[in-house]
Amino acid sequence: MSITNLLTNWSDFRQQHPSAAHPHREYKWAMSIDLDSCTGCNACSVACYAENNLPVVGKEKFAHGHSHHWMRIERYWDNDGREFADQGAQFLPMLCQHCESAPCETVCPVGATNHTADGLNSQVYNRCVGSRYCNANCPYKVRYFNWYNYPTTENVWPEPMNQQLNPDLSVRSKGVMEKCTFCVQRLRASMNDARTQGRLVIDGEVQTACQQVCPTGAITFGNLVDPSAKVGKQWKQQQVDLNIDKQPKDAEEKAAKLRGYRILEELRTYPSVMYLEQLRESAV
Amino acid sequence: MIENSFNRRNFLKVLGWGGATAALSGCGNTSVEDGKEFVTSYVETADYIIPSIGTYFNSTCAQCDAGCGIMGRVREGRVLKLEGNPKASINNGKMCGLGQAGVQAHYNPDRIREPLLRNGDRGEAITWEKALGLINEKVGGVNAENIAFLTGVVSGHDKALLKNYLDALGSGHHYVYEAVAPSVIRAANKKAYGVEMPRLRLDKAKVIVSFGADFLGAWVSPVHFSQQYARFRKPDSGERGVLVQVESKMTLTGANADRWLAIRPGTEGILALGLINALAAAGLSVPGDVAAAVGGYTSERVSKDTGVSAEHIGKLAALLKERSPSLIIAGSAAEGYAHGSQNAAAIALLNQILGNVGQTVEAPSSTPFPQMAPTTGNRLALQSLNDNMAQDKVKVLFSYGTNPVFTAPATMKLKENLKKVPFKVVFAHYMDETAVEADLVLPLNSAMEDWATVIPEYVAEGAQLNIRQPLMEKLYPGTLGLGDILLGLLKYRRPDEYNGFEDFYSYLRNAMVTNKDALGGASKDGDTFWEAALSHGGVKMVGEPVNLSGNVSATTLVVPAPFVEDATYPLHLIPAVSASMRDGRNANEPWLQESPDPLTTIVWDSWVEMHPKTAAKLGIVEGDIVEVASKSGAMKAQAYVFTGIHPDVISVPLGYGHDAMGRYAKGVGANAFKILDPVFDKETGELAMHETRVKVTKAGKRVIIVKDEGPAGGNQMGRKIAVRLTSNKVNLSEEV
Amino acid sequence: MNYFLRLSVLLVGLVVSAGSYAANTVQPLTTADDLGPKVEQPFEFPHNRHAGNADKGGMEINCMYCHTYARRSMVAGIPPVQKCIGCHQSIESVRETPRIKKLFEYWEAKKAIPWKKVHDLPEFVRFNHERHIQRFVFAQNKPVQEACGYCHGDVKTMTVARRQKPLSMGWCVSCHQKDHPVDATSTKTTHGPNDCWQCHK
Repeated sequence: MSITNLLTNWSDFRQQHPSAAHPHREYKWAMSIDLDSCTGCNACSVACYAENNLPVVGKEKFAHGHSHHWMRIERYWDNDGREFADQGAQFLPMLCQHCESAPCETVCPVGATNHTADGLNSQVYNRCVGSRYCNANCPYKVRYFNWYNYPTTENVWPEPMNQQLNPDLSVRSKGVMEKCTFCVQRLRASMNDARTQGRLVIDGEVQTACQQVCPTGAITFGNLVDPSAKVGKQWKQQQVDLNIDKQPKDAEEKAAKLRGYRILEELRTYPSVMYLEQLRESAV
Repeated sequence: MIENSFNRRNFLKVLGWGGATAALSGCGNTSVEDGKEFVTSYVETADYIIPSIGTYFNSTCAQCDAGCGIMGRVREGRVLKLEGNPKASINNGKMCGLGQAGVQAHYNPDRIREPLLRNGDRGEAITWEKALGLINEKVGGVNAENIAFLTGVVSGHDKALLKNYLDALGSGHHYVYEAVAPSVIRAANKKAYGVEMPRLRLDKAKVIVSFGADFLGAWVSPVHFSQQYARFRKPDSGERGVLVQVESKMTLTGANADRWLAIRPGTEGILALGLINALAAAGLSVPGDVAAAVGGYTSERVSKDTGVSAEHIGKLAALLKERSPSLIIAGSAAEGYAHGSQNAAAIALLNQILGNVGQTVEAPSSTPFPQMAPTTGNRLALQSLNDNMAQDKVKVLFSYGTNPVFTAPATMKLKENLKKVPFKVVFAHYMDETAVEADLVLPLNSAMEDWATVIPEYVAEGAQLNIRQPLMEKLYPGTLGLGDILLGLLKYRRPDEYNGFEDFYSYLRNAMVTNKDALGGASKDGDTFWEAALSHGGVKMVGEPVNLSGNVSATTLVVPAPFVEDATYPLHLIPAVSASMRDGRNANEPWLQESPDPLTTIVWDSWVEMHPKTAAKLGIVEGDIVEVASKSGAMKAQAYVFTGIHPDVISVPLGYGHDAMGRYAKGVGANAFKILDPVFDKETGELAMHETRVKVTKAGKRVIIVKDEGPAGGNQMGRKIAVRLTSNKVNLSEEV
Repeated sequence: MNYFLRLSVLLVGLVVSAGSYAANTVQPLTTADDLGPKVEQPFEFPHNRHAGNADKGGMEINCMYCHTYARRSMVAGIPPVQKCIGCHQSIESVRETPRIKKLFEYWEAKKAIPWKKVHDLPEFVRFNHERHIQRFVFAQNKPVQEACGYCHGDVKTMTVARRQKPLSMGWCVSCHQKDHPVDATSTKTTHGPNDCWQCHK
């Protein structure tokens, strides 16, 4: 039965440390986000609300930290004590990093979050019992808990607002954890199409909702296994290796630097999201 | 894409069973349940309709006036999500958060569902027949001179019909009002370049100096500019463009600038002239009269007046001289003063001196159908209407697409003057502040149920006519579109001309097909042309490029000296136009309320931004409820302290503080429009939005601000989280 | 679901799974029937008359003639009324029978027939008809009725369709764990996907 399946195939679901010995065969979904293009406009975040049935919790619950920004824009200042933030802000779109060795997976008491063959960190709402251990163990704080039964909460989806809900994924009920899925419903649809046609998904065929709207095209998403995919080319050019927790390029002293990095890589989570550093002109 | 209108209409029907209720049951339904739900099925269907697979229909966004092409994902008769139309030249498949929230305007639970006629304090539901008959009776009973039509920006066939209706009434009183539009800039552009809104080529510029134009946030056509910005930052050559933003309060664009220069409010023109002087000194060839006119603006003086250091002026001038072409943009920060026109002219002069006109400032195309070209609005229009109302010159007032009771400063006494108008008709989606004052409220279709054509003010290439078409069946049978209402009214006045059209759809289709040759459909038959236009979401038109002709005369250009201090009201108030809230018309869409302000990350409330220095002087800390008082009024909000603002300035976002409209907008924050002082731009007569002086005092209470700065409160704790490099350390041309 | 119920389900689940893990054998494809309740429909659609064998008075119509979306969509779909009428407008012999009269009533009123779902999976499950049909009918050349019958039972003998299989997760998995040939000619085998996100949404 199902738990049997989980236990028998544990190694498929849970990769301890990614390595070249266990490559992803057909798909490894990954993302890169160019922080120099990102303007912090929040379009991605709203797109996520629209695509993924995220509840609007209102001011009071937001104050309690109950918001559901699967994709949130973090904003940092880098003033160094100067009078003004005269080099602007640093915006950072933060979403589930779909770690190859995800800290959330190991602590789930019921195996509700685990690794899929195509490199996603899955969250199965039915299996989740709401221990919230995963959230506690996530260094990126990108897991969101349903403290309330939002479908029946006043003014979350009042009639006819509920008609907007996307039937491709469920509306979560009280007591389950949720997080960014890399728009798995879109991935599954295009993977199934490709399979029916006897091929793999072509680069650009499937977009995540955040990537699709981004006005500056800061987000790139695709299959890291596909040599023609832009995301893979970016990772390669930036010398960021999925399976390494300390990129050799960071140790090198070179005049021209590469911008690619992964957040909290040193925790050995092997995230699937690469960021490209923001740039600022020194001549002004 | 769409074979015939019958199939299409059938498809757009909501398949009520299953649909929404099924989606909501979510995890609650955990068992296999036979015979509980209905299956989605059709009477007739077309080949392209496959259950469980979304079908996309192209339309035009109505959330702001930029006119982006959108694509509605429709499944089982419901529109689920709005995405950008990849073929639209303005937005190329991209969208902003505001645009996407359009779906929440459509499904909003607070929409008005039938015409309401005032009966004492209450609105009584009446039929459309009665409503239109009543309007016809009222307009027939007054002198045409006393009829006024107040609208937001109108274009396309709606505008043509509106004009025909006004002609039929014999009244020319059409007031076009936009609360936060760049109307002074338009007038200045007209003088400087010969057109109100030239095409700006951010992607061609190597340096952009923006004087408070929030082109990434809320200015003119932000999604279009954002795409240009991406190419400006990362051109094929690898030579990254440099953005310098000059403003007193940081905007989203300012937050993305390589150098954000906090300038003393109102001195933007002085800095522009100072830069010309510095450029001349650095050897740029500057015409003699200009050089003479700016000779007095030495770095020392400009630095003293503007608060921008001489070092930064020098560096900026050097950069502008070295890297060409550049682009100088004047935005709302520059235009918001009594001398806003002069500021804008000085900035335009800088563009001319740098040789950018014709390079990065390009000529737009004219629209071949001037009767459908957009009529842009301004604040002066509301002023004149208000004056006429005060003098009892308005007997019947129509209001469409604006909410003047909310956006008019208290000093205008608009609400009182409105009471002098015996019959007020308000076209509305919600019972907003203006609708509650109406005698007759006409409920509008949502943009997802409506037919319209739109010509945006800022078109990315050529000339175009965008189509707005229904993405699903109307949610409420009692709503109508503007086109249908005008057509209904015209049938009373000009029956011979309009009785032949069953509805606005047939009028529109006929008008388009009749003119198909001019709309790029000469080679197609009428049906094919129409289907293609719907399928694309619009048509391209052949427009003539307008010549850039104007010029700024340096000799007549006078930029006043900086403000003198005001002891009672020592601070300048900058009412901020945010990307989500704008003038507040979209405040009842909960995604926008919960979408954090990019800079402060605040949700669901207003706030008062101030510099730490200012806060320290006043003894204010973050979360203190403060009173912001001007000569014209006062408001209270929570204080937010940060370094993205000049110490002489405080800033409050617009769009909050509704006392009507709907459950998500009402009572959220405070309305900054109300406390604006009546100071006007000297040349155009526009309300000078940044001229209000205020004093800030603690109101006693302190709250914890509800914001989303990330798990560590916006602190990186020494970790490598959001990282910044100087651009000369990176080789962008090698990047993928 | 009630929180405490959820927790107790977990505990029971763990105990049961420990037991079943010990006796780890691949279960055979269950053919055990788990007959669902009778479902009241607007009128009785005789599947046996349309899809049944000719010797039993059936027309042997391919399932996918009416359930046309099964091979290209997640859902098999109920045919539009238009489709029924397409044939029935020229079948005079049954034109005046009560069911056909009812059918024409819906058609003339331009109303969709409010069929009830018989095979109704929970809302959190993503079952893809297309992939199953493509796999079994088009790749493996299985007869259509056999392929559909894996999950829907012997519909050709039913009048109003009635659920015959349990459609529970364990039942799905029992088949997904089995090795199936990848196509009609190859000896290569593979099993169905077993990651949670393939079916759970």
